[in-house]
Amino acid sequence: MPESVIVLENLAKSFGHTHAVDGVTMTIPAGEIFGFLGANGAGKTTTMRMLCGLTKPTAGHGSVLGHDIWKERNAIRPKFGYVAQKFSLYPDLTVLENLRFFGSAYQVSGQRLNDRIETLLDQLDLRAKSKELAGSLSGGMKQMLALSCALVHEPALLFLDEPTSGLDPVHRQQIWDLLYDLSSQGTTIFVTTHYMDEAERCTEVGFLHRGRLLAKESPLRLKQRFKGQLLEMQIEPPMEGLVRLRNVPGILGVALRSGRVRIYSAESERLVAEWQKAWPFEGLTWLGHSWAVPDMEDVFKAYSQGYSEILETTAS
Amino acid sequence: MNFAATLRSTASVAKKEFLHILRDWRVLVLILSLPPAFTLLLGHAFENTASTDTPVVLRDSDQSEQSRALIDKLKADKTFAWREIAPETPGTINLLKAGVMMKVVIPPKWGESLHNGDPQPLQLTLDGIDTTTAPQLSGEVQQVLGQFQLDSRQAMIDNLPDEVFEMGKKIPEATRKEFVSAMSPWTVQSKILYNPNLKFIDFVMPGIVGLILQLLTVTLTACTIARERESGTLAQLLVSPLSRNQIVAGKVFPHLIVSILLIAATLATGHFHFHVEYRSPMLTGLLCLLFLLCSLGTGLLISAFCQTQTQAIQFAVFYLFPVFPLSGAFASLDQLPPGIRMLSQAFPLTHFCHAFRMVSMGQLGVSFVAGDLVFLAIGAVVTCFGAALLLRRIQD
Repeated sequence: MPESVIVLENLAKSFGHTHAVDGVTMTIPAGEIFGFLGANGAGKTTTMRMLCGLTKPTAGHGSVLGHDIWKERNAIRPKFGYVAQKFSLYPDLTVLENLRFFGSAYQVSGQRLNDRIETLLDQLDLRAKSKELAGSLSGGMKQMLALSCALVHEPALLFLDEPTSGLDPVHRQQIWDLLYDLSSQGTTIFVTTHYMDEAERCTEVGFLHRGRLLAKESPLRLKQRFKGQLLEMQIEPPMEGLVRLRNVPGILGVALRSGRVRIYSAESERLVAEWQKAWPFEGLTWLGHSWAVPDMEDVFKAYSQGYSEILETTAS
Repeated sequence: MNFAATLRSTASVAKKEFLHILRDWRVLVLILSLPPAFTLLLGHAFENTASTDTPVVLRDSDQSEQSRALIDKLKADKTFAWREIAPETPGTINLLKAGVMMKVVIPPKWGESLHNGDPQPLQLTLDGIDTTTAPQLSGEVQQVLGQFQLDSRQAMIDNLPDEVFEMGKKIPEATRKEFVSAMSPWTVQSKILYNPNLKFIDFVMPGIVGLILQLLTVTLTACTIARERESGTLAQLLVSPLSRNQIVAGKVFPHLIVSILLIAATLATGHFHFHVEYRSPMLTGLLCLLFLLCSLGTGLLISAFCQTQTQAIQFAVFYLFPVFPLSGAFASLDQLPPGIRMLSQAFPLTHFCHAFRMVSMGQLGVSFVAGDLVFLAIGAVVTCFGAALLLRRIQD
């Protein structure tokens, strides 16, 4: 297996005048859990579809497992598993029939297929439901089945497009446990997500904004990108405080966290000093303030809103 | 990929497709019960083309011996269901309000006019909304009247006094023969081939079979790819090592099996219930197979082209609609103007009906229907590969 499973060079995809993916360059080493972040419409799904050979890139190059993502897409297909954003199995087939079909579609047959199905039924908690129609499963179970169908041929690489969206915390945990197991066995995982707690669990995170890759680092390094800490104001009433502080010059954005107003600004210290001299907001009571360590939620907000003033510029 | 693996992959898609058919029991019941039911319905509907019991109204303003005799003959004709109104009924009759297709009036002194050298016409008033019935009805009355005239002429000849015959003997023989010839009705002697009893059901049987099968195959397959696209499973198939051709072939095969069963059931209904005879089973079978492949391919082509099942059904309906009146399924293509007749050659059903009649009724060999077979074969290949090609194209 090559050192880098995915190599992208200026990969781009345009639909007419819209640049869905605008020159993405990155490498993803083997065995990594790569979290792909970005707002809706940032180009995450389009990038993944290009990597899977479902869409032809309009510019740039990409290779997956050493093969060109478009010209050699037929050679890549047997080697990866793909779980699409929405449930994409056959609801009128049973759990077992779905597994058997995808197994045979991936040329897994005979005893090997039986063994694989047995393993997956246990591993993903599907044994009790094996004879039920896929359409009758709960959302979490459907996602478990989708994962097992993508894993039936033991792929070296797994693409997951928002695999946990809409799932309860128990199933999300179950899926992440499974991803860790797979990763420890050497499977490379490429996952898009909207959940920042999930982004924390990835070995590396790529941040896509309007088709451009703004950062690609470990969650820890990404959080360290903030210049200093974030101001948190305890204001009464908090909602009104949120709305009024949002429009103060020098404040890039605000967010409500545990009843406190978190402020994104390069001039936080100056503002606090000014407010201590004279509190300009009539009707709002300033109860206190503190300084918070940025988390992935802040990273997401800062990158997706373009708060470049409070972020260090990309070093690498 | 070797051949066995290709076959296995295709078989896995086919098996999955069979499961889809079996699981959707509502549609399964529909496709299994409709063809025989439609065959019975349409078969009986088209069993006989001649109108019977058409409501007509009659007013005899003459009330003579002759008019009575003519009315008896008209009433013996099964085409009409007569309603007689009294001669003194005032005013005109509104055909539509009276619920009749035709009004026949025997004018006053009509019987007398037949003997005084100035025969008066019967007065017909016809409803022309339905363009075929009016000429048919007037023709029928004309025919009855013609027979009535022949009968009365024969009666007149039979009752001629002997002097007339004596006088006739003085006329030269050649002139006499010419006179007799002129007075005898001139006739045709017809011999009807291929469908000697003129059973209309035999003519429409391929139309019924073709229409039902085309309707079912096109609408069924039109949904298969579109459904997968809608549900997202198509992307799942396309990222797998399955090739486009394997996907299409795997989808055609189960539907082909089902539609072969359906065509057999339909033909059997025609044979056992309507006593339609089929000849050249091999050639007819080949014809049916090519027609089915062509229809399945058309459905898949529509399916690969459309984004949703709703679109696919709409496209299928708009494709199927012109086929009904223009394929020659229920009426001869000769009635169509040449330009439209050329258009009708673009429909597989047109070739199916033509070839089926040539082979089964005309008992002609393969050389007479080669054109139709080639058209259907090309249609099958073009549509199936077209569908596979469209599947490839949608990735871009």
